[in-house]
Amino acid sequence: MDDGRLYRILHRFFDLRPDESRAALSLFAYFFLITFSIYIIKVVEETFLIGINPRLWPYPDLITVGLIGLAAAFNARLLTRLPRRTHAARTVLFFASNLIIFWLVFNMNARDLVLSPTVDSSGLLGAVPLLVTIKDSWPAPVIVFSFWADLFIVMTVTHFWIAVNDVFTLHQAKRTIGFLVTGGLFGGIGGALLMWLLGRVVGPTSLLLVCTAVLVLMLVAIRRVYGQARKIPEGSDAARAASGQRVGYFDSLRTVRRHDYLRVLAALLFSATVVGALVNYQFKSVVKAQIDNDLLRTSFLGSFFFWILVVSAAVHLATTSRLLKTFGVRLAVYVAPIVLILGTVSLFLLPAAGVGLMAWACFMRGSDKTFDNTITQSVRELLYIPVPAAVKYKAKVFIDMFVNKFAVGFGAVLYWVLYRALSFSYRDPVVQVRLIAYFVIGFAGLWITLAGVIYARYVGVLKKDLRKLWQEAHKKLEAHVDVDSVAPIVDLLQSRERSSTLYLMNLFRMVRSDKLTPELREALAFREDEIKARSLDSLLDVGGEAPFREIEEEAPDADLVTVISEVLHLDSFKTVMHSKLAEIVDGPASPEMSRMEAALLAGLMEPTPEVMRSLRRLLEDPSAEVLNYALGSAAVHRHKAHLPLILPHLGQPTTRQAAQAALAAYGPEIDDTLRRHLESDKESLEVRRAIPEVLARTGGQRAADILTEELSRGRGEMEQELVDALFRIRADRPVVLFKKKKILEAVYSIVRACYALILGKGGEESPGGSDGAALGRAALLELRIKRIFDLLTLIYAPDDIAKAYQNILKGTAKSVDHSLELLDNILNRNLKTYLFPLIEDLPQEQRLSVLRKLRRRLDRAASGRRLNWAPRLFRMTSRDRDA
Amino acid sequence: MDIQTREVGNVVIFDIDGEITRPAEATLHQFVKAELEKGKRNVILNLDRVGFIDSFGIGEILASYISIHNLGGHLKLCRISKKLYIVLQVTGLIKVLEVFEDCSAALKTFGEP
Repeated sequence: MDDGRLYRILHRFFDLRPDESRAALSLFAYFFLITFSIYIIKVVEETFLIGINPRLWPYPDLITVGLIGLAAAFNARLLTRLPRRTHAARTVLFFASNLIIFWLVFNMNARDLVLSPTVDSSGLLGAVPLLVTIKDSWPAPVIVFSFWADLFIVMTVTHFWIAVNDVFTLHQAKRTIGFLVTGGLFGGIGGALLMWLLGRVVGPTSLLLVCTAVLVLMLVAIRRVYGQARKIPEGSDAARAASGQRVGYFDSLRTVRRHDYLRVLAALLFSATVVGALVNYQFKSVVKAQIDNDLLRTSFLGSFFFWILVVSAAVHLATTSRLLKTFGVRLAVYVAPIVLILGTVSLFLLPAAGVGLMAWACFMRGSDKTFDNTITQSVRELLYIPVPAAVKYKAKVFIDMFVNKFAVGFGAVLYWVLYRALSFSYRDPVVQVRLIAYFVIGFAGLWITLAGVIYARYVGVLKKDLRKLWQEAHKKLEAHVDVDSVAPIVDLLQSRERSSTLYLMNLFRMVRSDKLTPELREALAFREDEIKARSLDSLLDVGGEAPFREIEEEAPDADLVTVISEVLHLDSFKTVMHSKLAEIVDGPASPEMSRMEAALLAGLMEPTPEVMRSLRRLLEDPSAEVLNYALGSAAVHRHKAHLPLILPHLGQPTTRQAAQAALAAYGPEIDDTLRRHLESDKESLEVRRAIPEVLARTGGQRAADILTEELSRGRGEMEQELVDALFRIRADRPVVLFKKKKILEAVYSIVRACYALILGKGGEESPGGSDGAALGRAALLELRIKRIFDLLTLIYAPDDIAKAYQNILKGTAKSVDHSLELLDNILNRNLKTYLFPLIEDLPQEQRLSVLRKLRRRLDRAASGRRLNWAPRLFRMTSRDRDA
Repeated sequence: MDIQTREVGNVVIFDIDGEITRPAEATLHQFVKAELEKGKRNVILNLDRVGFIDSFGIGEILASYISIHNLGGHLKLCRISKKLYIVLQVTGLIKVLEVFEDCSAALKTFGEP
């Protein structure tokens, strides 16, 4: 079957991509065969185990604890020395050969003992002593087989999940996990069904041979799976992990101990497994009391596992992926322990006579198994995925093999102690089960606590893996440059060649504001005394001669700024300069240079009425250069009367920067004036577009509120400027708070515009303004998505959002995965639903289909028409309020 | 000021002729934004034939830098005059803006021949 057809069939039921179908199907088959064989072996194991004395039940688990560590170490070592495909195949062959031996042993035990010392009908002399040995040692073979079964289950399942990690990335694994686990469920159902139907006819022992055949088929599946393994880039963590580094048991243990996250994960698995072990003992106790016969027990256990798996499959298909997609790891991790606690508590509501006890035991064991097969397993594997590959391989082997089994052993010890201390052999099964229940509740409580801890750590691990790829531009500038000095420095250097008066006034301005840096001094290469003399000359020159020669002569060593300032304050100087200013400003044909000098001088002088009047005139000058200096002087005096003259200059590209700087100098006191102009439809669009930058520079809470309010009006022509200004305020002033509801409204509005871009207009109006109508859709979409993320930095942790955005845009495949996973865990559910189809890598057809559906919902929400199931977009959720 | 644009691979080169001062018509930043809105992210400003830049012009270069950088792109300058180099040095902008003696060297940093 070709890949396209395969994809089309599978895609109807599962979220798969075309290039994943073949690999996913191979893994599906692999897992199917693993669980098929597991459920044959499990039923045989439990049948024999329940049949022996209950006081012996803990021994297989304790033996497992004692020996599994060695097996884990050996397996870890082999994983790094052998190609994983080879190791997986040899492991399966080993277990297949063991099954034949066990078949022989169990078969011999079932046969009648021949007492006379003659050769029996089979012709083998040695068979008699062997028969005697087996009979005498019974139930030791059962205990050995039980340990062997545990080893088989752990090793084959571990190899499977390692294969998944080899074939798929994090995000692929999360998406396909539902499909893969379904394969496991179907395999288990098949194995359990076989035991149910044939168990009471053929008996458990003969079915071990069927299992052997299944293991042979598993070899084929392993070969297919590793044919699909993704090429791992050289130098990556996975490559180093696969390159044959030494890994021993203690190395694995050290790895886990060194990582806080892995320690918590190990503890979580431990508590969950102890709960499962105790529930298992409860189940065994009830089954032993109620079913005595081996064949009946085999059939019952076969049917029990069959129905558990059918229910698991139904639950899994209906809910696991949906649960993970909707609520994420955060809530999914709590489902199992909460249900088990509630189920355990319900035991105490049963009548003392034990009516309904079998049903209760089946419910509890069934729930534990169902969750284990579905949501718990999926969550557990997802919790591994953010861990770096080199660490993961070491840790997984240790945690899955040793910690898991140690927990089972712990449960066994607990049961062993309870059995003896509380004399279980003399107690009614109901009492036994209730006594164990107290411990189930305790460990389930610990499980819930650790679930909360691991989730917090999970998000931390995701964040740690992501780096910011670039620093925001204005932050980078501020780290190296005094941005406010750039224009004055350039004006100073430029004026040197144009007018000595202008030059020296610019110099004075720089000196007065202490911005004359060593680099600038060197560039100017001036001598202080020369400057002092020339500046006094220029400033005091009102007709070719310096009228105040005595000052120049008397203050040769005085500080330049102090001297000039004193001169500027002299009444006589002021009188002279006022008339000079008026002459230049009112004169019909004053040269542009003179007007520039006058405009700059106005900023150096005291704000007398005459100076302010001159400045007002200069603020209406036709020359952009004169206006530049006039606006600079207006910024010094910050006179309210100048505001109406400054504002129109925002609309001109030649004076916009200077006008913005001048208005910003007024500070927050003009925020409301700016708001009126921003909101006014009568004001020109160019002026309104320049106002957000001014508010960003004044940057207080009020400015943020004004900008947010304007943004929420949804007038798209200023969207870019408003978002940029808000983004800047957030970066410069972390204490400012932003109205989350309004920001979210703006986000959804932009999301809707993005949908319109992708789906085509269809009646949607694309916001006009600075984006224009003739732009490439993809480029425009990218700009709009940037705006969405800029807005999200206002209401979520800015660094997290910035990292996620930058890595989605320009990161590696792995960092893109982690970015999406991080967003999945920090954004609210509604937002994720609408945002993810824009940023995830989806097939085009699927994206269009999803977007059409989501656009209809957005349109309904926007128009106020809501159906019961449509999301309330504009109502804050408790998560929104809490953030 | 006259601006001609040309593309070399994924890089847009602005060949600027004249003075980058307060213009009556479109500003340099507006030209840059137009290219950003077409999806371009790598920009070189060829200042070989730029005789004069005032504070407004420096502001336009800075605004262009900010717009490009925040989208994950890169702005580079090539063939700047000695005067402009001094201005960039004195203002500290030389630590932020990447400057190249010739435009082919700037292109190479983008991985273009």
